Amino acid sequence: MSALYLIVTIAGQRVALPAATVESVVEIDEVEPVPLVASHVAGLFALRSRVMTVIDSNASVGAAPFDRSGHAEAVIVNCDGHGYAILVENVDDVIEPLAGVVQSRAVLSPGWARVALGTIEIDGEALLVVDPEALVSGQQLVAAA
Amino acid sequence: MDDLLVDFITETRETLETLSSEIVAWESSPSDRTRLDSIFRFVHTVKGSCGFLNLPRLEKLSHAAEDVLADCRAERRKPDAALVTAVLLVIDRISEVTNALESGESVPDHDDAVLIAALAPGGGVEVVAVEEEVAPSAVVANTAQKGMSRSIRLPVDLLDRMMAGVSDMVLARNDLSRRLRDSGGEPIIDAAFERLSVCIAEMRDSITRTRMARIENLFSALPRMVRDLTAELGKQVTLEIDGGDVELDREMIEMIRDPLTHIVRNAIDHGIEMPDERLKAGKSPTGRLRVSARQAGNQIVIEAIDDGRGINADKLVEKAIANGMLTEEKAATMSLQNKLHLIFAAGLSTAKAVTSVSGRGVGMDVVRANVERIGGLVDIDSKLGQGLRLSLKVPLTLTIIPALTVSAGGTHFAIPRSAIEELVRVSSGSAHLGELGGAKMVNIRGRRLPVVMLANFLKLNSTCADSELTMVVLKPAGGDHYALAVDAVHDHEELVVKPAAPALMATGIYAGTTLPDNSHPMLLLDPAGIAQSAHIIGEAGNIEDIEPETAIAVDECAPTLLFRDLDGAERAIRLDLVERIEEIPASAVSHIAGRMRVSYDERIIPLMSCGVPSQQDRYRILRMTDGLHSIVYAISEVIDIVAMDFTCERALAPGLIAGVALIDGRPVELIDTFWLFSEAAREAVGPAHPPLCLLTDADDPWSRQVLLPLLRTAGYRVTFSGAEDADDADVAIAIGDGLADLNSESAAVRTIRLSTDPEQQGGDTIYRYDRDALLDALNASAKHKRRAA
Repeated sequence: MSALYLIVTIAGQRVALPAATVESVVEIDEVEPVPLVASHVAGLFALRSRVMTVIDSNASVGAAPFDRSGHAEAVIVNCDGHGYAILVENVDDVIEPLAGVVQSRAVLSPGWARVALGTIEIDGEALLVVDPEALVSGQQLVAAA
Repeated sequence: MDDLLVDFITETRETLETLSSEIVAWESSPSDRTRLDSIFRFVHTVKGSCGFLNLPRLEKLSHAAEDVLADCRAERRKPDAALVTAVLLVIDRISEVTNALESGESVPDHDDAVLIAALAPGGGVEVVAVEEEVAPSAVVANTAQKGMSRSIRLPVDLLDRMMAGVSDMVLARNDLSRRLRDSGGEPIIDAAFERLSVCIAEMRDSITRTRMARIENLFSALPRMVRDLTAELGKQVTLEIDGGDVELDREMIEMIRDPLTHIVRNAIDHGIEMPDERLKAGKSPTGRLRVSARQAGNQIVIEAIDDGRGINADKLVEKAIANGMLTEEKAATMSLQNKLHLIFAAGLSTAKAVTSVSGRGVGMDVVRANVERIGGLVDIDSKLGQGLRLSLKVPLTLTIIPALTVSAGGTHFAIPRSAIEELVRVSSGSAHLGELGGAKMVNIRGRRLPVVMLANFLKLNSTCADSELTMVVLKPAGGDHYALAVDAVHDHEELVVKPAAPALMATGIYAGTTLPDNSHPMLLLDPAGIAQSAHIIGEAGNIEDIEPETAIAVDECAPTLLFRDLDGAERAIRLDLVERIEEIPASAVSHIAGRMRVSYDERIIPLMSCGVPSQQDRYRILRMTDGLHSIVYAISEVIDIVAMDFTCERALAPGLIAGVALIDGRPVELIDTFWLFSEAAREAVGPAHPPLCLLTDADDPWSRQVLLPLLRTAGYRVTFSGAEDADDADVAIAIGDGLADLNSESAAVRTIRLSTDPEQQGGDTIYRYDRDALLDALNASAKHKRRAA
């Protein structure tokens, strides 16, 4: 169980994304808005010739959406053949935890519970492992399924 | 057939690869329903394929496993360890036999029966002994020993990367082009740049094509399958296939293969009745199954229509209630369409008996799962006792579609060109925007259309005044006209459209995303989706009121393509006649059989032009059709698309040019499309009833080999004396001295005698190689007969 995790900050919390799912980390500036779409979709962004759907991870976990001004860092993931750029507040580090993912015993808020895969422990700190696919699908879709 | 077998082997092996982990997982928790379902589907598919590939051994194995698994699904049996092991052994054997099929080796089959027997309840004891030699992990090992493959299979991912690379290249090219323009052109650099552009365009084209394939590939397997199935079931079915030349992404074709197979199999097994049953129902004993593909907007629609018994929706509901999938209260409120959709629920089938072909209630759920996975839709329409129509609508990924870019509230959008009927500026005076009970309506030359204000609809802030708006009149496929009010219209562009993320598609108003040359992503609007979500009401109710006006409006003003012809003149042609504007390689054009022709899509189409295309590598052509015949017209370049009023100064004599009209103050010649088509059709059309020419001497080799071809080319039908239609002949030709028996044949017909001696001419006798005299005489005689009649 020595998978790598990317530590990022979403809605003020440090969380871990399974590094295997992450294609790259990019800085994005201009996001083309998409009208009438679910709130966790911030818009579209061109990564070279690919069109990425930009995901507001804060909105996806039920927090206040990003303040979209200036540059932001985004994690590029691929789900079901579609490219997504997940906006995050901060990208910290890639780490390899000593132990594997364990189920969290804390009672999470619904927004977090939806995206959490469990927790890992790094330097004595427990971090939520977040499922990028759940971030991308957003709350509405899960409710509908 | 060989291809089908190879397909089967590859497919089975691929499924086995993905299934191997499922199998192991199922072993550890035999009650896991989803694992059970996927293993069941696998053996079901194998069984089905073996059925029509005639692989009895595999069929027997898979059928046995399927029976047991079906029992587990129906909870008639509990999957215990012995059963799981037995099923795994059978799957292992399937994998061994499949590998052996490919390498041509044989696998001893003496213990097949043992494997099958082990599946029976209580048959586990024997299995334990066998288990020692073939552990479940052997599945993985076996699949690793692959034999030789005769084709290269490329991961689609790699093609995607190539495509992305080319798209990047196009963007870089565009950027460079802008910079070159800004810095002022230097001819040498421009020429080099031009060459680069051509190379990039060609490469982009060919890479796009690597992903595209004709749907024929999919359809070609159907006739054989239908034949085998009908033979097995004792039914009679004629299969009609249409639209094989529709091109589709290769990956899509693979994804539709299974669903289509299931659908066709179901149609024949359950849909179409036995011949005597059909007769009783007053239908022809031979059932009809029609499989067709066509492109509709940004979708490919594949339909399978049969004239069988259809689906009994009430039976379906009964069954669903019995299965506990549905409550009676809920059933009572369901529409017919919803009831029919129950067929897609797992584990439901209306077939009374389980046959070896289908009827276990799998298939339709698999069909839907597969089609939905690629962003498609399955639709069903059934008339009890009359037939069933199943349509698969799948998106065209990675297609280049012509689109119009517009903007509203500062955001750019693309609209598929195919849905646009015309553009009208409010400021031009021909469109009047008004309100009707709070809803916007626009009156365009007397035709009232509902309006969707794009900016308001999308909740964008637009500062554009009503008088500045442009109305895009849309006619979505399968919908009704409406006008979309946009702030500005920008450009016609060819865009590479990719499917948008599910969250975007969920809005129902977008058809995909695209990246235009300026590298700002843009959304492609779905005109039908917008109409639906803006609640545009169909015009069916008031169609009579507006139809005549519309007709006039169309007549007066129609979208017109302005282009530069080969001789440099600016000409115009009605856009609705033009099917495509495209470039063809010069090698496709040749001067054969008296005129310029293009070989195109494996057909030969007449090429019309006002001159010889200049010596270039590629010709730009307009492809037009009158519904029956296609022609292409070579042009130099496209200038613009305008709405044009077709009143013009007539040309003096009929010809290529119908007349001349003023467009923006310039005189522009209008192409006479009637003349164009009639000119192209001239050779194809003979007299309505070609005269029948009787040859009196059927045995004469000269008549058959030399004369007959000449007559046929000259437009005559030919018959021989003694044939059934000999009495209807319009004119007869006798060779040499065959006079005596001629008179008895038919006196009303004039007879031309052909002589081998040039000296013997005169009267009705003509030297046989005097072509002109012979044709004249034939013509005269045929006319004479017609007058007499």
